[in-house]
Amino acid sequence: MASRYDRAITVFSPDGHLFQVEYAQEAVKKGSTAVGIRGTDIVVLGVEKKSVAKLQDERTVRKICALDDHVCMAFAGLTADARVVINRSRVECQSYKLTVEDPVTVEYITRFIATLKQKYTQSNGRRPFGISALIVGFDDDGIPRLYQTDPSGTYHAWKANAIGRSAKTVREFLEKNYTEDAIANDSEAIKLAIRALLEVVQSGGKNIELAIIRRNQPLKMFSAKEIELQVTEIEKEKEEAEKKKSKKTT
Amino acid sequence: MAATFFGEVVKAPCRAGTEDQEEEEEGRRETAEDREVRRQLARKREVRLFRRQTKTSLDVSLLEKYPCSKFIIAIGNNAVAFLSSFVMNSGVWEEVGCAKLWNEWCRTTDTTHLSPAEAFCVFYHLKSSPSVFGSCARKNMQVTLLTCRHVTDYKTSESISSLHSPFLKALKTQNFKEPPCCSLLEQPNIVHDLPAAVLSYCQVWKIPAVLYLCYTDVMKLDLITVEAFKPILSSRSLKGLVKNIPQSTEILKKLMTTNEIQSNIYT
Repeated sequence: MASRYDRAITVFSPDGHLFQVEYAQEAVKKGSTAVGIRGTDIVVLGVEKKSVAKLQDERTVRKICALDDHVCMAFAGLTADARVVINRSRVECQSYKLTVEDPVTVEYITRFIATLKQKYTQSNGRRPFGISALIVGFDDDGIPRLYQTDPSGTYHAWKANAIGRSAKTVREFLEKNYTEDAIANDSEAIKLAIRALLEVVQSGGKNIELAIIRRNQPLKMFSAKEIELQVTEIEKEKEEAEKKKSKKTT
Repeated sequence: MAATFFGEVVKAPCRAGTEDQEEEEEGRRETAEDREVRRQLARKREVRLFRRQTKTSLDVSLLEKYPCSKFIIAIGNNAVAFLSSFVMNSGVWEEVGCAKLWNEWCRTTDTTHLSPAEAFCVFYHLKSSPSVFGSCARKNMQVTLLTCRHVTDYKTSESISSLHSPFLKALKTQNFKEPPCCSLLEQPNIVHDLPAAVLSYCQVWKIPAVLYLCYTDVMKLDLITVEAFKPILSSRSLKGLVKNIPQSTEILKKLMTTNEIQSNIYT
């Protein structure tokens, strides 16, 4: 049945599916994992870096991009589609600032991206964007925000979420470990993001990229050394926790 | 003429009788030629068995010289990676022969000189225990098949987003008495291609056989998919064959990095 209703985006199947949109969600799962966490005074974006070919310039393979000084996003899925969406969002951020003389709110730019994606699910001869995005930032009111969009054009606010490959495993980890203590301060929130990624990233810290935004501060990308430091601390804490456990049992 | 959703123009079937007849005759003339071409292609189909090093051909009767108790087949790159890093890494395996085939759906155009680098199926046997291998001896033989399939082929009444892929499902013949290492494949799911052919053969000839099918969302070589086969290591057929699991995991990781195809489409 699916084969008759999945060629054209503008055709519903008899049981109400838009197969092209669902297939676009499969394309998202082919991208590497990205995780976003909303803390009390910080928002964190962590991504699994794909290993780069020897002759390739590492700086041109980026999953985390700034949309404005106070908003940034991470995506999973088709690289080219992401580039188009990011370019349009950046233009929209500046256009909004010039017109209204205020920076965009995170919710506004998320809604813009989601509307753009939805247009492509209802257009003749076009296919949906094959990306999901995690958009983070601080509004003027100082409240941290995390939103997620998907190829169907829906968007929701989250406390913590993951997209891309193994997103389900990471989300389950977050559901268990996202507590008030875990986001009590900035370093704890950063550690939670790294721990969530380490659940699914194969080769440890060197394949993780991390970005944070603190209130009234611009986007900060972590260097490889800083990430290694965090990973070493996490591993130490793990060992200590295991030692305590074994002491309790004996 | 009719316009479709994309605005392309499609020829609608004509209700005028005469036009139809002319078209049919034309069609018939072409079909005879097509049939001849197809017949010639079919004649070129071949299956060859030979030794890779010496390139000498191997008679099927030679393979019958190796009686075996366990026959393990891995189909697809993830299953092959699992077998080569976990099973073939422990003990010395000797290559006995390889099977190549060509039919009109193959992409290589050269029918006579198939290069050894494109082996479709390679046979190995365990030097230290020659009873592990084989092809034709039917008594006391147990067959284990490993393969992968995309999770979108898995039919279930649950929502697909609740599935924890990759996951393992088993399908066995009537004579296979051992309990499988994972849950059985439920209806209405079916098995396709080579694994189905092997299982049918085993069922007909009353050979105990089991297929371990891994449903995954990554069809290319992937560490998580290969590790999904790990529960099979506790089965009776593979127990004696796997010695060093941590070393095997290291070898698997190396295999991944060497085989990683750089694709920049998805980030």
